[in-house]
Amino acid sequence: MCAEEIGFVEKYDLLGCIQCGRCTGGCPVALRTDLRVRCFMYDTQNEERLEELSEKPEIWDCTTCYTCAARCPKGLEPLEVLIGLRSLQIEEGRVQPTVRDALESIFKDGNPWGSPRAKRLDWTADLEVEALEPEAEETTDVLLFVCCTDAYDPRVMKVAQALVKVLKAAGVDFGLIGEEESCCGSEVRRLGEEGLFEMCDEENVELLNSFNVNRIVTVSPHCYNTLKKEYHGLKHPVLHYTELVAELLEEGKLQLSKEIAKVITYHDPCFLGKQNGIYDEPRYIITRIPGVEFREFDRCRERSLCCEGGGGKMWVESESKAERLAEIRVEDAKEMGAEVIAVACPFCLLTLEDATKVKGVEEEMRVADILELLAEAL
Amino acid sequence: MKDIFVLMEHRRGEMRDVSVEMLCGAAKLGGTVVAVLLGKDVDAFAEKAAGYADKVLYVNDPLFENYNSEAYQKALSALIKEHGPGLLLIGNTAQGVDLAPALAVELGASLVTDITALEMDGDKPKPTRTFYGGKLDAHFAMKDADLYILTVREATFTAEEPSKSGEIVKVDNPVTEDISYRKFVEYVEPEVGEVDITQSAMLVGVGRGIREDKNLPVVEELAQALGADLAASRAVVDAGWLPADRQVGISGKTVKPKLYLAVGISGAFQHVTGMKGSEVIVAINKDPDAPIFGIADYGIVDDLFKVVPKLTEKIKELKGA
Ligand SMILES: Cc1cc2nc3c(=O)[nH]c(=O)nc-3n(C[C@H](O)[C@H](O)[C@H](O)COP(=O)(O)OP(=O)(O)OC[C@H]3O[C@@H](n4cnc5c(N)ncnc54)[C@H](O)[C@@H]3O)c2cc1C
Repeated sequence: MCAEEIGFVEKYDLLGCIQCGRCTGGCPVALRTDLRVRCFMYDTQNEERLEELSEKPEIWDCTTCYTCAARCPKGLEPLEVLIGLRSLQIEEGRVQPTVRDALESIFKDGNPWGSPRAKRLDWTADLEVEALEPEAEETTDVLLFVCCTDAYDPRVMKVAQALVKVLKAAGVDFGLIGEEESCCGSEVRRLGEEGLFEMCDEENVELLNSFNVNRIVTVSPHCYNTLKKEYHGLKHPVLHYTELVAELLEEGKLQLSKEIAKVITYHDPCFLGKQNGIYDEPRYIITRIPGVEFREFDRCRERSLCCEGGGGKMWVESESKAERLAEIRVEDAKEMGAEVIAVACPFCLLTLEDATKVKGVEEEMRVADILELLAEAL
Repeated sequence: MKDIFVLMEHRRGEMRDVSVEMLCGAAKLGGTVVAVLLGKDVDAFAEKAAGYADKVLYVNDPLFENYNSEAYQKALSALIKEHGPGLLLIGNTAQGVDLAPALAVELGASLVTDITALEMDGDKPKPTRTFYGGKLDAHFAMKDADLYILTVREATFTAEEPSKSGEIVKVDNPVTEDISYRKFVEYVEPEVGEVDITQSAMLVGVGRGIREDKNLPVVEELAQALGADLAASRAVVDAGWLPADRQVGISGKTVKPKLYLAVGISGAFQHVTGMKGSEVIVAINKDPDAPIFGIADYGIVDDLFKVVPKLTEKIKELKGA
């Protein structure tokens, strides 16, 4: 594709960039890889260089955490420039086999894991949850949108299962989509596959609109962000589960009786915190659990350190041999004396739990989703 | 029946097995089997070929010291024009697939590549080749021609003991003009350790269960005994015990070997996604609840440092027998 068609300068408002460098300064992956996003803000102004720039391996280091955009004094979104460069590669079919397989699997089976659609509900096992009928007469309060990772990864399934237990305990009227549920496409868009993302957007909106529900609740902040901010024409309001659960606790519908006498800290997922401003609900929930001693990371809330799980990083390793950010996070938690790192995102759960093993602290430090803690405290 | 030509392939002082296999296969088709040998001072190969062929055409010339498709094509087409064989067999090797199509076009011959079985209908071959990764056999009816060329997959025919003593005919190099388009430059050795695990037939996957890199020889020996390559979980790559190109999983490689032997790997979803398509999965893990057992065809619940050396020994024993 030729540069004129793309118009990076206009699309990303590149001439607005004053090269102050706050984007690179705040970029968490700049700690461990060669990615310098400020340089890309400058270099992509020369549209003749786009092809060459898109071939730089560091464009795949970005986790799309949004720190650069959150800190840009001109309101620009440097991460989007990197996604734009990825698109150029994707369009040419120049993409890593792992990424290609994941995208193909989403196109074919609605999930990135090469797993069949028929296994999408395996996680519900003996939980007795209903899949909703489209166009039903009666309104159901909550439609649960379960992320592909929660549906298929046996470790993360436990989180979705915990959510079901919590909702049942609170008497919430809810249902699932069923096997028709498909990937939200958040990672698809961030890997630069615009066409496939449009398909996810269109098909999911049509499917979701066909249900007679009051609201949609997502398990993953990535799905949440996409459904809420990136889809076109979705008629139901979208909540992250932390919003719903906080509401249930506040209204007294959810009672927690068992103690968890642990020092617990909370890791803010980028897609919930930085990108959607949900900081208080998770903290509210954790501190309602009896017996919990809550401590904050130094880098918390809008300054929270990204775990490196998003932005397509599931499928792309950086060349860097430097410590992973999740490992830094685990070390920080250990230093403050935390026994549990609570998370509210499947990717954070995976990266941080993995890091406890790398650091050899998996015996003394637990990584758990807030929902798992809640289910234990019921 | 017209003569059958079989091209002898050799490289750096070694003759390829497929050459002898083709001579043995050709002997069963009826007709005179002629081994064609192009090389520089490879008399030993001429003698070896004579044990399987009725005749050996041997061109000894510096031009053929290393394989060069241009030189080979010119020499072969001259020899074919002179002797008029009805069939030419070439190994389906990197050299063979480079040479055969160009030669077929030049001579107006009928060509089928990568055959896995062969019958004759008089002078005309009826070859078979496979499709869809070996799931389908296709039987070919070849277009009539004066010369048929087939490239033959290794192990299509079985090598037997030598039973002939063909005449070795030394032929002057028929190529007189310059070879100008292609030039042999050098052999490039693949770097040691550069293994493409997606192509390996057998893999021994190593996980954090091996504890330290100084324990690697335990699994290396197992892999060697099996003829397998080593693969790894991300844990092992992160620790720097094996290089990144050995990583199996969502952010590593997707592999589908005939055998995947997971040693000290827990079976995290991110790993399993990259190897669940393997034909047979065997897991060795001391934890009976390790998720890897959920997808393994065979499992051994025990300390790998006890199991693996015994397994290695047993495999060596069986292979030695
Ligand atoms: C974004 C992301 C991407 C990832 N991508 C990949 C990927 O591409 N590939 C990948 O492999 N992982 C990947 N992971 C990591 C993955 O989640 C797991 O952490 C990792 O696969 C674990 O490796 P392991 O099985 O070697 O180690 P562990 O999970 O620590 O398992 C070690 C196993 O060895 C066993 N064991 C210990 N001692 C012995 C003994 N003496 N004898 C027998 N058994 C023993 C234990 O019982 C245990 O089951 C990724 C993680 C994230 C977050």
